Amino acid sequence: MTLLRTLLVVVLACAADGALVLAQQPPPQQQDEFVPIDELPPQDQLPAAPLLVTAYSFVVLALFAYVVSVARRLTTVQRELERLEGDLKRGDSA
Amino acid sequence: MPKSFMPLAVVCGLMFAVSPILIADAPYESTMGLVQKIFYVHLPSAWMFLLGAIVCGIASVRFLFRGDPRQDRLAWAAAELVVLFGVLTLVTGPLWARKAWGVWWQWDVRLTASLMGWMVAVAYLLLRKYGGPGSDKLAAGLALFGMANVPFIYISVNYWRTIHPTTSVVPTLPTSFGVPLWFSAATFLLLFLLLLRMRVRLEEQRARVDALYLSMDA
Amino acid sequence: MFAHIVWLVLRKDFTIEVRSLEIAYTTIFFSISCVLVFAFALVQEGRAPEGGAAGILWIAIAFAGTLALGRTFERERQAETLRALLLAPAARPAVYVGKLLGIIILLTAAEAVLVPLVALLFQAPLFAHPFWLVLILLTGTIGFAAVGTLFAAMLVRARSRDVLLPVLLYPITVPVIIAGVRATATLLEPEVDTGVLQVWFALLVCFDVVFLTLALWTFEPLMTD
Repeated sequence: MTLLRTLLVVVLACAADGALVLAQQPPPQQQDEFVPIDELPPQDQLPAAPLLVTAYSFVVLALFAYVVSVARRLTTVQRELERLEGDLKRGDSA
Repeated sequence: MPKSFMPLAVVCGLMFAVSPILIADAPYESTMGLVQKIFYVHLPSAWMFLLGAIVCGIASVRFLFRGDPRQDRLAWAAAELVVLFGVLTLVTGPLWARKAWGVWWQWDVRLTASLMGWMVAVAYLLLRKYGGPGSDKLAAGLALFGMANVPFIYISVNYWRTIHPTTSVVPTLPTSFGVPLWFSAATFLLLFLLLLRMRVRLEEQRARVDALYLSMDA
Repeated sequence: MFAHIVWLVLRKDFTIEVRSLEIAYTTIFFSISCVLVFAFALVQEGRAPEGGAAGILWIAIAFAGTLALGRTFERERQAETLRALLLAPAARPAVYVGKLLGIIILLTAAEAVLVPLVALLFQAPLFAHPFWLVLILLTGTIGFAAVGTLFAAMLVRARSRDVLLPVLLYPITVPVIIAGVRATATLLEPEVDTGVLQVWFALLVCFDVVFLTLALWTFEPLMTD
């Protein structure tokens, strides 16, 4: 179980890291003079797709991780409940 | 678990599968373009975050003044959901903000108050886990103060000059944006109710285990 | 009757404290060390950062307040006097108000030391508008102490109470701290904008009313077993 948890953390960290790297601008080159323009050319604008994909995948992964967490806790408690009820029944019959 | 749980869970899953189609079909927003589509998960997450805080607060009041343990279980479950949906809101928001505002985070009222509200929920969970006996009542007191924060979070954006969009965005949404948003919101609400039911069930089972242990000692 | 109980609780705490002055001395010394740490950390080449004084003052108040709250109720726990107080035929809210006033007086004493110290170390004109400064400090302290006294009292019987008090207290009192810092910062400017100042002050009063009401309402059920 700890392996699965570590794997999940690594995947999430890589996804976030990828988004961060893609979201940063490339370093500027040395210039002799400045030329004004009204709007940034498309290749210089921050790419939106990685941010969008990261957002949606994070939502899906987080919700999935929570459902798994609750389900696991439920099965643990269920098992303990069954064990206790078994013990009590054996105690009653003995 | 009630008999309706599994069918509703299937419906919820199907709704989650269908919503990306609706979201992809929605038009682009004029100033923000593609990244605005995060709106369809950010806003429902934020709504569930606030709803969770209200449920936790009301359940806490009822537990404090009437002592009903079912309200305590509901409050604990709601607090966990506040942390969950708070994380979703606080992650999807900055991802959207990086493109729309140029910064990951801003210390404006809405964001600061939301972050503080989320931290109150985390403090609630820490108190329940590490506070020892009697922490159920103490956490209920904490949740009350946390719930007082909720209306502040919601209206703050209308009264302070902040960078976050105001609450008038949703009532004035054109239908082409509205359809995927309300569908997504319904999906999240159904998911919230299902998760709440599951989590309360966990507490009910734990209470049964405790009762069994106590009856064995007697 | 209510006021009488408040006075009795306050007098009891004051009498005990005056005998050793333990909490007063340690809180004041802690506040001084706190401000000095900030001074060493933030002062570069002999000059303090611009506009840092307001934030540092309120952080020192928050930290000293948390310490004072912890120590005051630890003393109650050791002698089991809190249980005695709750068993007494006194209205619970009156006990709460008595303890609250004690904490406010203690914090005010700490602030009396802190304000000149911060004004000196960070070259901040804190004494330019003393009336407004006193109002802001008072309302901010009441807001912080209102929540702090409630949480410290209810944590007396909990495990990990030392670390849980700041964990619970800070997220709730952050709005009070923010309003206090912004109001103090506005006061420190060469041209004080009274409009902005009044807005932050009104917000502080609002928080005080809400927190006091909630605390008075929940003190009884929270302290009952």
